[in-house]
Amino acid sequence: MASTIEIEAQERTYDEAALRVDGGLGRLRIVRGISDSVVLTVGIIRPAGVAELVAPSPNAVAQAKLFEANYRQGIWTAALGVAVWGWAFAINHIGVNQPVPLGITFTTLALVTYGAIRLDTATRALSRAIWWYNRDLKK
Amino acid sequence: MKSIFFLALLVSASFSGVSAQAQASGHPAPPVATTATSNGPAAPASRVQSAADSARAYSTQALRFESSWGSANIVRGAEGPVVGTVGWFRDFDVAKLVESSPKAVVEARDFQSKNFRGSLVSSIGAATVAIGIVVSANSSNNAASPILIIGGAGAIGWGLQHINSGYAALSKALWWYNRDLAH
Repeated sequence: MASTIEIEAQERTYDEAALRVDGGLGRLRIVRGISDSVVLTVGIIRPAGVAELVAPSPNAVAQAKLFEANYRQGIWTAALGVAVWGWAFAINHIGVNQPVPLGITFTTLALVTYGAIRLDTATRALSRAIWWYNRDLKK
Repeated sequence: MKSIFFLALLVSASFSGVSAQAQASGHPAPPVATTATSNGPAAPASRVQSAADSARAYSTQALRFESSWGSANIVRGAEGPVVGTVGWFRDFDVAKLVESSPKAVVEARDFQSKNFRGSLVSSIGAATVAIGIVVSANSSNNAASPILIIGGAGAIGWGLQHINSGYAALSKALWWYNRDLAH
């Protein structure tokens, strides 16, 4: 009986506190519990604060820091790559219509690829951070 | 050259869109039932045991997804293994993987339908944009090219929105599955 109560208490904790990622185009949200209340919206300007959110779990904090170290940098690097190419495209189409120099194109591809790699690392780390946090709720 | 570059950008953008969020090789593994629920009256020691069982079940059985270049690996436990990969036109049966949790199954089916629709429409959109760029490069006065490019870009946006919404459903499915592990 006592062990059943223990498990029910764990489930209640999980139902109320367990996190998950809820994505959408251009936004990344972390929601909590069965009610899906949004506890954090991850932006690209300010630090996300994921580490503070998962502070009770040391493993989760380590992954959250990895996420924060890569997420914004990844987005900004990829955006810079696209912006460089857009700028070169605009400059080369004012007046005489010329193709964008090959060097600019390769620079853009390199920046976008590098940014995507960092974004990939970041989202993997976020997934692990939330997994560890939820796991420690069941302790 | 321009056409190739635009295609490369489209592919990169698609990867980034999908990564915000998570090859079938696995088998469904039902959640581990802890012995605690069937033990009847229990001493405090068994309460500690049941909590430990629950944490152990979560550590070894709980699922998550990790994005990987436009796809998402579904990983079991703290250190793996990868039990399946979902993504564009991948037919891994997530509903079967989480079949032990009815609410997870509902969300998994939602993911599968949105992911398929999103993949299909965004691929058609990308092809339409590519055709538009080619037409535009070959005949600068062709009125069809802006229509193709704008229509294709719209289809890509709609498709990516569906794919992202699908990944939110996948996240929910795994959440429910993990929640029901100790049942």
